[in-house]
Amino acid sequence: MILQVRQLTKEFDGKAVLRGVDLDLAEGQVKVIMGPSGCGKSTLLRCINRLIEPTAGKVLFRGEDVLRAEADVRALRQQIGFVFQQFALYRHLSALDNVTLGLRKLRGMHAREANEKAMHELQRMNMAEHAHKYPAHLSGGQKQRVAIARALAMDPAVLFFDEPTSALDPLMSREVISVINQLYMDNITMLCVTHDMFLAKYIADQVLFLDAGVVRAEGSAEELFSGHSDPRIREFFIHEHHS
Amino acid sequence: MDFFQIVSLLALGAGYTVLVTLACIATGLVSGIAVALLGRLQIGPLAWVLAVYTYVFRGIPVLVLLFIVFFGLPWFGLNFPPLVSMMLSLGLITGAYLAEVFRGALAAVDEYEIMAAEAMGMNRRQVLLSIEMPQMLRFAAPGMLNEFTTVLKYSPFAYTVGIPEIMKQAMALAAITLRGLEIYLAIGLLYFAIYKLMLALLRAVERRFSVPGFNLL
Ligand SMILES: Nc1ncnc2c1ncn2[C@@H]1O[C@H](COP(=O)(O)OP(=O)(O)OP(=O)(O)O)[C@@H](O)[C@H]1O
Ligand SMILES: [Mg+2]
Repeated sequence: MILQVRQLTKEFDGKAVLRGVDLDLAEGQVKVIMGPSGCGKSTLLRCINRLIEPTAGKVLFRGEDVLRAEADVRALRQQIGFVFQQFALYRHLSALDNVTLGLRKLRGMHAREANEKAMHELQRMNMAEHAHKYPAHLSGGQKQRVAIARALAMDPAVLFFDEPTSALDPLMSREVISVINQLYMDNITMLCVTHDMFLAKYIADQVLFLDAGVVRAEGSAEELFSGHSDPRIREFFIHEHHS
Repeated sequence: MDFFQIVSLLALGAGYTVLVTLACIATGLVSGIAVALLGRLQIGPLAWVLAVYTYVFRGIPVLVLLFIVFFGLPWFGLNFPPLVSMMLSLGLITGAYLAEVFRGALAAVDEYEIMAAEAMGMNRRQVLLSIEMPQMLRFAAPGMLNEFTTVLKYSPFAYTVGIPEIMKQAMALAAITLRGLEIYLAIGLLYFAIYKLMLALLRAVERRFSVPGFNLL
């Protein structure tokens, strides 16, 4: 098991945003988290890598408790590749340097070795020919593919996606879904927050429906998307389908 | 006094003007960057000290601070040579203004880029030096040019502490030749030439560091 989350709770100024979330993620597994806006999806991802400090609960990464005081937070984060809806490319760096930065600063690689590794990851994302462009000169879909290459370059144990296609138009969204699908074929472990049922259907081994800070249902994409017994879930996916 | 003598004296003065200007810009850059970056780390009492520095040094007239440093501090046994006195007055005042320019530039750095760097496993110092500072310097470019120009324009104060820069030479020449109008017109043009030179230099630096997506000078 790569990840075991138990009774994870997060309160912001006394307001409970996560209210006892349980989640397991096995090696090679892909889980998709869906749910209404504001239900705590981003907060959940960020609590796991401690960008946000959880209020209570347990997070085990490869069996190790990462919430204890003496845990090495930065070592944990290097194991988790994070891809944001906003792409978050470093705008003063070329696509290539976006990918090499972590290798150089965190892995201590020399420029040459880092460049080779980064070019390999960009190639994988079909972005090699744009390696020397700056973020301002890349389309949204291209930026997101660089961001994925940047995450992959660190050889993480798991990739987190927080709505990777939500800022993209349908065409660019399609190109990002296709590379994420390729990662799925490569057996990369992923935890993906999305509103995109198309993406979820492609990659989800299991879909987790989060509602007001609790896991309301868990199952395959088919089970959740069509005719679920819970009316709230039925209503959510009918609405998503038409949006 | 022949033409050649006049030109060589003004050239010497121009050399000192450039020296004073560069020394004060360097002081301002070092102190401004240090204050902005340390302020960003929000270390309790230190943040307070830095805030007082930027507040006080932006409020004191350059000439007053220069006189305090050069004529006042010797009373406490602190004797600074003229150039160092300029750096401690004009230089540190420039630093206080630049610190404010940099603070604004740091606020313009995208929070998601910072979060991405933290999510990658970088520590605070790495994020500051690899992401925030390089972007800060680019966002701040127009404001920096402003401050550098101001330093050049305040550099004539150096003559009050005995540095033989352009203004000092000009006053001496005007007294000897009794051709004040021509002399002061000439040094007006000289200052303008130095300004254009400085601009050309900064444009060269800009070309080296410019990145699409940032509007520099
Ligand atoms: N730093 C914070 N301080 C206070 N409240 C916060 C903070 N971050 C998030 N919240 C609140 O927590 C709730 C969950 O936010 P979160 O961003 O996790 O939702 P989400 O499921 O990712 O939503 P979306 O689909 O819109 O991205 C929201 O009500 C939000 O306003
Ligand atoms: Mg979110």
